Amino acid sequence: MFLSVFEWLLGSPPVAFERGQLELLVPWSVFWLAAALVGALVFGFLGYRRLARRLGRKGRIFLGALRAGAAALVLLCLLRPQLVLSLVVPQENVVGVLLDDSRSMRIADAGKDLRRSDVVLGSFPDSQNSARGDAALGNLLREKFVTRLFGFSDRTERIDQTSELEFAGARTDLLGSVTRVAEELASLPVAGIVVMSDGADTVRGRDEGELEATLLDLRSRGIRLYPVVVGRPEFEIDVEMGVPDLPSRVLRGSLLEIRVPLRATGLAGRTARVEALDEGRIIATQTVRFATDSVETSATLLAPAEEAGARRLRFRVAPVPGEVLTRNNEQSVLIEVDDRPLRLLYFEGQPRWELKFLRRAVAGDPELHVSCLIRTAEGKFYRVDIENADELAGGFPSTREELFRYHGVILGSVEASFFSQDQLNMLRDFVSQRGGGLLTLGGTHAFSEGGYRDTPLADVLPLTLPEVAEGSGESEAPMAAGEFRELRILPTRAGALHPIVRLDEDPLANEDLFRSLPALSSVNRMEGAKPGAAVLLEGFGPAEEAEPVLLIQRFGRGRSASLTVQDLWVWQMHAAIPLEDESHEVLARRLLRWLASAAPRRLEVTASPAKSLVGERITLRARVEDERFLAVNDAYVEAEITAPDGAISALPLRWTGEGDGEYSGVHVAAGAGTHEVRVRAELAQGAEAPQAATLFEAGAVDDEFFDAEADPDLLSRIAGATGGRVFQADEAEALVLDLSLAESGTTVVERRELWNVPAVFLLLFGLLAADWGVRHARGLP
Amino acid sequence: MSRRGILTTAFAFVSLIAFGGALLVERPLEAMQPTRRQIREMLADAVGDDLGGPRLGKPPAHDFHFTRAVYTSYGWRGWRVDYPKADRQFLIGLRRITNLDSYEYENAVLLTDPEIGKYPFLYTVEVGGMAMTEAEVVALRRYLHRGGVLVIDDFWGTAEWVNFAHEMGRVLPGRPIEDIPLDHPVFHSFFDVDEIVQVPNVGQGMRGGPTWERDGYVPVLRGIFDDEGRLMVLVNWNTDLGDAWEWAENPYYPLHFSNYAYAMGINFIIYAMTH
Repeated sequence: MFLSVFEWLLGSPPVAFERGQLELLVPWSVFWLAAALVGALVFGFLGYRRLARRLGRKGRIFLGALRAGAAALVLLCLLRPQLVLSLVVPQENVVGVLLDDSRSMRIADAGKDLRRSDVVLGSFPDSQNSARGDAALGNLLREKFVTRLFGFSDRTERIDQTSELEFAGARTDLLGSVTRVAEELASLPVAGIVVMSDGADTVRGRDEGELEATLLDLRSRGIRLYPVVVGRPEFEIDVEMGVPDLPSRVLRGSLLEIRVPLRATGLAGRTARVEALDEGRIIATQTVRFATDSVETSATLLAPAEEAGARRLRFRVAPVPGEVLTRNNEQSVLIEVDDRPLRLLYFEGQPRWELKFLRRAVAGDPELHVSCLIRTAEGKFYRVDIENADELAGGFPSTREELFRYHGVILGSVEASFFSQDQLNMLRDFVSQRGGGLLTLGGTHAFSEGGYRDTPLADVLPLTLPEVAEGSGESEAPMAAGEFRELRILPTRAGALHPIVRLDEDPLANEDLFRSLPALSSVNRMEGAKPGAAVLLEGFGPAEEAEPVLLIQRFGRGRSASLTVQDLWVWQMHAAIPLEDESHEVLARRLLRWLASAAPRRLEVTASPAKSLVGERITLRARVEDERFLAVNDAYVEAEITAPDGAISALPLRWTGEGDGEYSGVHVAAGAGTHEVRVRAELAQGAEAPQAATLFEAGAVDDEFFDAEADPDLLSRIAGATGGRVFQADEAEALVLDLSLAESGTTVVERRELWNVPAVFLLLFGLLAADWGVRHARGLP
Repeated sequence: MSRRGILTTAFAFVSLIAFGGALLVERPLEAMQPTRRQIREMLADAVGDDLGGPRLGKPPAHDFHFTRAVYTSYGWRGWRVDYPKADRQFLIGLRRITNLDSYEYENAVLLTDPEIGKYPFLYTVEVGGMAMTEAEVVALRRYLHRGGVLVIDDFWGTAEWVNFAHEMGRVLPGRPIEDIPLDHPVFHSFFDVDEIVQVPNVGQGMRGGPTWERDGYVPVLRGIFDDEGRLMVLVNWNTDLGDAWEWAENPYYPLHFSNYAYAMGINFIIYAMTH
């Protein structure tokens, strides 16, 4: 409305004034112009000199101004102002038209059950005599320009007719396509490029710098971009699931903690159920409540990993009534469930019940193997659950090779002075460099009482060790009375969410469960958790303040945990606990699994992207370490890739030169489906060659349906940077007009007179009418 | 001195030497053995020694408590035989030989005591007269299934075995009592023991009499295993380790027996604390 009134009043649309230049045809000098203006003013004010008394000062100025304005306007018209436009010559210029051919164009959010693709097809009918007729953008363009149509998704292809579009592209490479089309049309007179898209560029790993560079390139070519937005920037009702956050490899029997990001629109106060499925079987569910209308939240699921091998876990949210796009309610993730057991070393300085019951707890867990070494008398050791006669034959390991074979180490009640300085350093390196887990248990010879305060291990522990009176750590005497205290154990807020101590999914039931367990005891003085450590369990004893009981933290590459009580086994033996109660077993297994499962193996392999299109490049990366877990740069590393059809191809991985022990190679995914990668690294002669495996999936990319709302922000950035403008699909005429005013291409200059536009007449008439009206009202001549 | 007097004196002298020599030659060992009366007196003295009586009440916290299972039985003997001296004497050895943080006194606990779970090792004796109440049976069954270990000692002969086997049948129905082979870890957990010794009661041990009682001629170590093959109950039948601990300090008690008894006692505890 505003635009058409504007055009009627001034004879040209606003864009013409924006693009064109205003010129005066009579080139008068500034002096004469000023003189004429002063003359008009004098004429205006002098005319009312005689009536000065009757009008008063204000009236005289007002009427004088009206008359002076009218005189100035007439003067301006005499100068013949003109709008100079550069118009494209019809059929002499080319317009590139890029049409989005990706899957997201199938989303039906273009109004009245229309899909985005319908808008594209409607705007560019195949023949000029279609139902939409002349109003269609395609036809309007064809009247003035030579159009070149391109379909684009992850590729860009020249098309003759829109019926060639399939709307099946798995990705939208918007910037890449625009650049390619600009290059292709470089030798032609180009008026501009029209891009019809929802604007969702789904090429991963594109950063801001790349975007800026592309925009700069387009600007330098002098080609304007005219994006036409299809689809809505926000769905009315939608739930979208992000990529679930979970480890790529997990130990069989572990409880997976999976964070599933969710974005909900228009669902305030409503709930949705998130499900995790393994081969069609539901393995975990969680109900999420959306607080507001537009919310980003997440669901945390705990799912067991039961079967070994490559598993494809699917996650889904049930579609909500009225949801336009339901394809973004699902995600799938490939994980590898490992059944190679974790090996732990449990060293006790004296026989303790804790060892017996810990062994019993993990006995039923085929993925945990705990070798136990117990000092039963001074210089005398007893070994249990060893794998061969040589294991631990010399007591506690004294070489890195021997110690670093384990994924986790548990230290019971053993004084620090038992270890040599080398062994203590080695234990610290075991965590920080090898990436193993260290669990320290409470006891008469543990923590400060065991003299660990000034040792390298004090750094590793998740708690601060207080100073203890000299000698108490070394004494053979039983613990001093008073230090012993009974503690009732409860999970902390962090613990209630952590898989180690979340024995029941319901946080309240979990707390009740802990309340029902008998008190445990501690003999170690505590100062508190280190910054950065998480307290999962705390104990309430005679002191008013709670003290930390189970603490965890990361240290270097590995993990460290401290259980400050000395008799977790009471939760197994106490007469008040039902026989079938598994709290002790579950807690012990989870703790040990958590401790050791993150310990890297000597050869680690990753494939990225884990999900790709067929024919896309997959980068395989490997990290190789020797038996002492030191990076190796001169290994021979070879990957063997098994395609879904059984075809095997070999790919040598080469040292990248960027980081120690890092190797990589590029593979092109040939067939759709899950590909298996087995990597073998040959180190020095005679050394054992470590092996590792990973997976990737080709041809299963659903990115188009995530973040699928139309993205006018990106489109308007592109338009703004190149001098174009963003249009809606129904603004075809305005778009064509804007294109017609192009500076590039073959153009002619058109001069439009402005003295004869209706606006001038109306203004002049208005000024004179006001002048006459005022005088008439006051009874003046 | 008359000739007759000389002859008489000489005869008397020769006779004396002959008799004395015969005495020395014929009974050299008996001469060093205490008599039954002497033994009775020694035992009475020892038991009369002021041990301060058994320690009662809740013991202080330690990693290990040598705990006697108190059960219901026929007659007066039952669980309290050799208590508390055997326990204390054994604990002296246990604490000296191993580095176990053990309470140094006895600790007798009722099978039905709710605190029994704090003591995962139980020792008891004279189960020939055992007659547990139903509550005791249930409590012991739960205790053993949770991971507790029970060591049985000092009962002899077929009749007592039959009673014990019946009582165990009530606690762990369907679980056989099997011989434990000599290569089982319980024989090697601290000391390497390669034979099962019949340890006699103190009286027979000091006198050097027969080592058996009643018809219990052959000593055995048997056990009841759980589903994972771990020992829940250890049964010392036709042997009496408790007496060997109790009288280990007595110079008349043969070292051979007390050595074996200590070795097996320690092995039982290390096994129980690791398996």
